[in-house]
Amino acid sequence: MSAPTADDTTEHVFYAERPEWADVVPVVQYENIQPLAPIFYSPEYKDATDYFRGVVKIGEKSLRVLQLTETIIRLNPAHYSAWQYRYETLIAISAPLQPELVLSNTLTKASPKTYQVWHHRRLLLTALGDPAPELAFNEEVLKADAKNYHTWSHRQWLLAHFDQENLWADELPFIDGLLEDDVRNNSAWHHRFFVSFERGSNDDKDEAEAIVKRELAFAKEKIALAPNNSSAWNYLRGILDHSRVPYSTQAIFARQYIVDTVEPRGNDILDLENPPPSEGAELPCAAAIEFMADVHEASGNEGISEAVELWRSLADTHDTIRKRYWEYRIRNAVATTGKA
Amino acid sequence: MPRPTPIDAYPTKTSDLQIDTEDILQEQIPPDGGGRVLHKNAHLQFLVRNLAQGFPARYMSQDASQPWLMFWTLQAFSTLQIAIDPDNKQRAIDTIMHWQHPDGGFGGGPGQAAHLLATYASVCSLAIAGRPGPEGGWDQINRKKLYSWYMSLKQPDGSFIVSNCGEVDVRGIYCLLVVAHLLDIVTPELIDGTAAFIASCQTYEGGFSSASHPHFVDNVLSACRPSLGEAHGGYTFCALASWVLLRPYIPLDDDAPRVDTRRLLRWLVHMQGSEIELGGFKGRTNKLVDGCYSWWVGGAFALLEALGVSGVPESARASDETPPPRPGTHAEDGWDDVDDSLFNRRALQEYILIAGQHPAGGLRDKPPKNADAYHTAYCISGLSAAQHRVCPSPAWRAEVRAVWKGEDGVRAAAFSEALSWTEEAGASHVVGSAANRVNATHPLFNLTITHTEGIMAHFYKQSVPKRVPKRSP
Ligand SMILES: [Zn+2]
Repeated sequence: MSAPTADDTTEHVFYAERPEWADVVPVVQYENIQPLAPIFYSPEYKDATDYFRGVVKIGEKSLRVLQLTETIIRLNPAHYSAWQYRYETLIAISAPLQPELVLSNTLTKASPKTYQVWHHRRLLLTALGDPAPELAFNEEVLKADAKNYHTWSHRQWLLAHFDQENLWADELPFIDGLLEDDVRNNSAWHHRFFVSFERGSNDDKDEAEAIVKRELAFAKEKIALAPNNSSAWNYLRGILDHSRVPYSTQAIFARQYIVDTVEPRGNDILDLENPPPSEGAELPCAAAIEFMADVHEASGNEGISEAVELWRSLADTHDTIRKRYWEYRIRNAVATTGKA
Repeated sequence: MPRPTPIDAYPTKTSDLQIDTEDILQEQIPPDGGGRVLHKNAHLQFLVRNLAQGFPARYMSQDASQPWLMFWTLQAFSTLQIAIDPDNKQRAIDTIMHWQHPDGGFGGGPGQAAHLLATYASVCSLAIAGRPGPEGGWDQINRKKLYSWYMSLKQPDGSFIVSNCGEVDVRGIYCLLVVAHLLDIVTPELIDGTAAFIASCQTYEGGFSSASHPHFVDNVLSACRPSLGEAHGGYTFCALASWVLLRPYIPLDDDAPRVDTRRLLRWLVHMQGSEIELGGFKGRTNKLVDGCYSWWVGGAFALLEALGVSGVPESARASDETPPPRPGTHAEDGWDDVDDSLFNRRALQEYILIAGQHPAGGLRDKPPKNADAYHTAYCISGLSAAQHRVCPSPAWRAEVRAVWKGEDGVRAAAFSEALSWTEEAGASHVVGSAANRVNATHPLFNLTITHTEGIMAHFYKQSVPKRVPKRSP
C-alpha cells in the first residue's frame, strides 16, 4: 500500500473538481461574518483547506486524507492541524511510516525553519525506533544552515531520547569540523557542551575529570585562535561553573589577553596549558578583562579594588555599551565587602 | 565611527556577516544627527491596512497563526495609544470567537486544532477588544473545557505539549500560564512540576533553551535534564516570565528548583549589540541584532526586577511611598545621571528609531528587510520597555490585596502578584521628542496595565483600587 502523493509537477486540479471527493462537503472558513484582518489566500489553498475542514468535521481518516494534508502542508508547512491530522491518519490506517520519513526528508529540507516538519520527524522516528540514519540527514540540513535552532535541538533530542553509544560516538569529531569551519558558531559550542556534560548516563568520576581537562584545553586553544569570541569564553566559563572549578585556576591563561598588545614570542617553550593570543589578536579582549575581574572579585577583599579597576576600564573604554552593568557590578562588589 | 567588532584577523562566516551588518546599520544614521522620530502615522496606516483590508498572500504561511496576526495588530495599536472603534472591536470579537475549539482552547483559525500559542494570542486579543456580557467574548470563553484541555497536555516532567500530538517548548508554557492567570484557572495541579521544568531549561550561558529532555531513572525524574538548543532570546523571555509567574507558588525549601539570576543577567546584558550595531539586541551569542529582541531581551530586564535584580541601588528602591519626581524625565541633558537600568535604554531606542522603522510604515528586523506584523508589534513593545520603568510595587500589591474579597490562596496570590506591577512615575526616558512616547505595557503579559486590570478584575470577580493618576512630568 502506498499513499498517492500530491505531485506538484502535474497540473493542479481543485478538490472541488475531483469526482472522488464529491462526497465531502467543503466547509468555508468564516460563515456569516466578515472577519477582521483576513489573509488573501491563493485559490488552491482555499480549496484544499475548505476540504480539510470538511474532512475534520466528519472525522474521516483514510488514504485520500494523506493526499489532502500533503497538498496543504506543501502550500503551508506551518499548518499544524494538517500535520497533526495527518499523523493520526497514518496511525489509524496503519500506513507504512518509512515512506513517510522519505517524504519528510523533502519537506524538511524545503522548510527547515518550521517547527512542524521537525516535530513530525520526531513522531515518526519514535514510532519507527531506528535512529541510525537520522544523524547523517541532520548533518545534511546543517550544511545549508549551521545555526538552525530546530535542526540542533532535533539532533540533541535524538541523542538524548535514544541514548545509544553508537550515536554519541562521532559527535565530537563532527563538532570539531564545524568549529574549524566557523569558530564563532555558538550552536556548535552549545552542542559541544551538551555532548560533553549533559549526557545523562555518565557517572564515572575519573572520566568526568578527564572530560573537564580535555574541554578546558579545547576552549583555550580556540580562544587563542580568535580571542574576541564570546562563544568560546562562555564555554570556558560554562565548564568551570559546571565542574565547580574556580576561575582563578585559569588566571595565568586569561591574563595574557588583557594586555594592550600581543607580546612578541620569545624562544621559550610554549606553555600548552596557557596558549597565548594569536599574532592577529586585537587586545585587550573585553571578555578576558571580565573574566579576570571575576577572578579578583572571588578572591575577596584585596581583590575587589583590582576587579573594580577592570570593570571601570570596561565601562569607560572597552565595553561602553554595557556601562550600566559594569557599574552595577562595581556597586554590588563594593557593597558586599563593605558588609563583610 | 564606533569601533567595529574585533575579528582578530581571523574572519569566518559569522564575522563576515557581522561586519556587513555593521556597515548597513551605520549607513542608516542620518548625517545631521536627526532621525530620532517615531513615525506613528506611517505605522498606523500600516496597521490599519492589515486590519481592514487584510494581509497580502505572503502571509498565507501564517494561516495557522491568525490569532497572532490579530494580537500583534491590536497590541501595536494599544501601545501606540490608539483606541479601536466599537464596530471594529465587535468584528474582532466575532472573528476571534470563530477560533475557539468545541473541546476547549483556541486554534490558529476556524476549524483548526486548539493550540497553546493560538490560545494566548486569542485571549490577549480579547483582553484588548472584548468585554463582558453577550457577544462581548469574555463570557463566551469556555473556561471549564479550556482547563481540562490544558490538563490533557500536561507531561510527567511538568511541561506541556502545545497541542494534541504537538511538541514541548517554553513558549507554550508561557502562553498557558498567562492565560491561566488572566482567566482565573490557575490550580496547584495545573502548575505542579512546571517551575522545575522551566529551571531545567537554563543553559550554561545563562539564557534559556526551547526545552529540556526528561531523563527517568527507575521511573523517577532525574536532576539531569539536558537542554535542547542553545540559549535564545525568545525562549529566555518565555522561561523567565513563566518563572516569575510561578514564583509565588514555589515552596522555599532546599529542593526547590532554582534559576541562576547572576548568569542570566550576564547573558541578557551581553545580548545588547555595541555602538556600531546601534545598541539593538541579538537573540543568541554571535548572531545579529534584530528588532524583535528589543522586546524579548529588552523586556526581560523588567522581569528581573521581580527577582530582586535591579539597576536601582537598594537604598533608592522600593520605597513604599511614591518616588520623588526626578529631574531629567524628558530633558536630554542629565539623562545619564538618572538612568539606572541595567542595559542601555537610550541605545535600544535609537536602534528601533533609526534601523527598526521601515520608511513605508511598519517596523522590521533590520534594514534592508521589509516590515511585518510580528516585528511591528515587538519593536514597539521593545520601545515601550526601553522608555518606561514598570516593576512590582509592594505598596500597590498590599492595596490590591486589602480589597480582595474571598479566601487567601492561589487565586489571591495570582491576582495581587499580577496586578502589583506599576509604572514608576517620573522614571521614563524618551529619546527624541515627547511625541515619541508610547504606552507602558505589562512586562509579564505584554498588554497595557489597563487591559490587564480590566480582564482580570472581571474573571476574578474583584475590584481593583483606582490608581492615582500619574503626575504630569
Ligand atoms: Zn526578529
